[in-house]
Amino acid sequence: MKNSNLDRLFNPKSIAMVGASATPFKWGSIIPLNILKGNYRGKFFPVNPGIDRVLGHECYPTVMDIPETVDVALVSTPAKTVPGIVKQCGEKGIPFLVIISANFSETGPRGAALEAQVLETARQHGIRLVGPNTMGIYSSRSDLHALMPPTMPLKGPVSMFSQSGNVGVQMLAWGMDEGVGFNKFVSSGNEGDLNSADYLQYFANDEDTRVILAYMEGLGPGLDLFPAVQAASLQKPVLLFKGGRTDAGGKAAASHSGTIAGSNRIFKAAMHQAGVIEIHTSQALMDCAKAFSNCPLPRGNRVGILTRGGGWGVITSDSCEESGMEVPPLPDVLIKKIDKLLPSYWSRGNPVDMVAAISNDPFLECLEILTGWDGVDAVIALGATRATAKFPFSEDVTKPPEVMRAIEKYLKFRRTISAQPDAILTGIKRLADTTEKPIVAVSIGPDHLHRATLQDYQVVSYPTPERAVRAIAHMVNYASFKKTARFY
Amino acid sequence: MELIQNALDRDAKNLSEYESKRVLSAYGIPVTREKTVRTKDEAIAAATDMGYPVVLKGSGEAMSHKTELDLIALDLKDEQSLKEAFGEFKNRQDITVEEFLVQQMVKGNRELLAGLKRDPQFGPCVMFGLGGIMAEVLEDIAIRVAPLSEFDAMDMMDDIRAKKILNAFRGKPPVDRAALAQLLMALGKLGLENEAVTEIDINPVKLVDGKPVAVDALIVLKNEG
Repeated sequence: MKNSNLDRLFNPKSIAMVGASATPFKWGSIIPLNILKGNYRGKFFPVNPGIDRVLGHECYPTVMDIPETVDVALVSTPAKTVPGIVKQCGEKGIPFLVIISANFSETGPRGAALEAQVLETARQHGIRLVGPNTMGIYSSRSDLHALMPPTMPLKGPVSMFSQSGNVGVQMLAWGMDEGVGFNKFVSSGNEGDLNSADYLQYFANDEDTRVILAYMEGLGPGLDLFPAVQAASLQKPVLLFKGGRTDAGGKAAASHSGTIAGSNRIFKAAMHQAGVIEIHTSQALMDCAKAFSNCPLPRGNRVGILTRGGGWGVITSDSCEESGMEVPPLPDVLIKKIDKLLPSYWSRGNPVDMVAAISNDPFLECLEILTGWDGVDAVIALGATRATAKFPFSEDVTKPPEVMRAIEKYLKFRRTISAQPDAILTGIKRLADTTEKPIVAVSIGPDHLHRATLQDYQVVSYPTPERAVRAIAHMVNYASFKKTARFY
Repeated sequence: MELIQNALDRDAKNLSEYESKRVLSAYGIPVTREKTVRTKDEAIAAATDMGYPVVLKGSGEAMSHKTELDLIALDLKDEQSLKEAFGEFKNRQDITVEEFLVQQMVKGNRELLAGLKRDPQFGPCVMFGLGGIMAEVLEDIAIRVAPLSEFDAMDMMDDIRAKKILNAFRGKPPVDRAALAQLLMALGKLGLENEAVTEIDINPVKLVDGKPVAVDALIVLKNEG
């Protein structure tokens, strides 16, 4: 395996943009704008022989005219001009190029021939390439947003490479909604030179990266994937979403990403063997990124469930069992403890059903008992949601003053509650700090609160129990792989 | 290996069952006792030597689909039934059989399969699963990339849907998992050490006192032409 140190690529001290433009709504001006509005920490040099300035920065005719060292050059000029530009970058001594330009191997034999020419020129000068046909790179430490869309990801421990620029960038955007922070991102494009295995290896050894996310479609012939995923999975979780798993998707991949999807069954088995966490939906990729980057790994597969309603507890238990986890029965000692906290008609088992108790204290006390129980490895808290100001009533009909006064009281109560720090989430956070078990909250409620829940309280939450269970199940499987990995 | 090299030299697309088992055997994989014969007398001598019941099969590299060709006579209990089967094969109008395999009859109602497929991305991959004639219908197989650790091999056995078949079954002992793991690991080694082998199909693998034995085997070679 090649040893590719990509430190200078992801944290460059200076960047050139070949094909920079002063005309709004062209990629040549959108990408510089994204770099500059993102407060990139290094120096930025636009390059275009036809113009003087781009967004207030002096524009150079060629990279050769830039008076300083350049670590990375972005290239967005038409494909046929790229070989010449690569040569100039080589003479300038630029170590990394990010080739945004498309119309290479993804379009057919002529594009492939041009790509081969670009690669040969780069090789002669010892240049490493991202792309071609990439949507760019992101790095949190350098505040580098060298991306086509205006995305500004949250900062965090997740790093991602994606063979589809659109899928990858959307994950960064979803992360903003979910509170999931990214450390590094690369849209790997056609992978003419640097490929998925190189990025995997780099992220695996990168101290700032704790979780690796990957979207892959095809596996090029020169891609030495297996040893790279095997080595990476031993170090940190690798969450992989493979597109082109079916015949229909496979055909789409062949015409889309310029590579042919491999034999899917073998791929799946190989990923399992290597300890990769294979993900099958785009939503699950984000959900799991959230759990893996914010929760400790469970030691085993036993789950304790706290619920504010019998039905949700049943759904969650079924989902756990179907995902290969256990919901063990509650021992008598714990039943006796909880007897003191809940009405006599409580479930007296796992799931612990709060029945109709709506106050916060018993909820948190029961959660503490469940979490402290050595019979479980992870805890799901159903109905743990941030209080909201919603209290719907129809405003188009005049109500008697007694009803209005009662409604006002509820509204006032809710306003007071939502102005205060959330007691349940504060309690979960406090509990999470004292345990090595993952505690996952389920709001069974609106979607838009989960970012705040994570950012304000560091509590991982999902709208539905099934999504929480899926994330925990993947953590259980990865933890189990880590335990057996000593056999390698 | 010399057997493989000789087959490549004569442009063979695959090894015969007999040759395939010699290769497997060289890697420590238990195979049925068997002998290649050309005459009726040789067949009788071989059967007497290994003891009845025996199996008589048409042999040679063209016979990779013996079941479809109807060139297998199972469970021949004595010399008389061996002679009759031999005569029937010899008298076939549609196909000329010059070489025969006299083989120890392995009983057992559990049929497993083990195999190898060389994948362009992952290299030799070992397969294990439910065997017999329904294998292609059930598609109950586990796959691992070679080389296999003992953990990988054991893990494969838990990976198939029909994993209960490996437990004690209808009065027969459970499978010797260590022996089965050795077989699977050996297949991976064989694939890694012999670039010319593109596929191996051992179907069925039967269990004798719980120990796996390759009853039928086919090794497919890379055909450059």
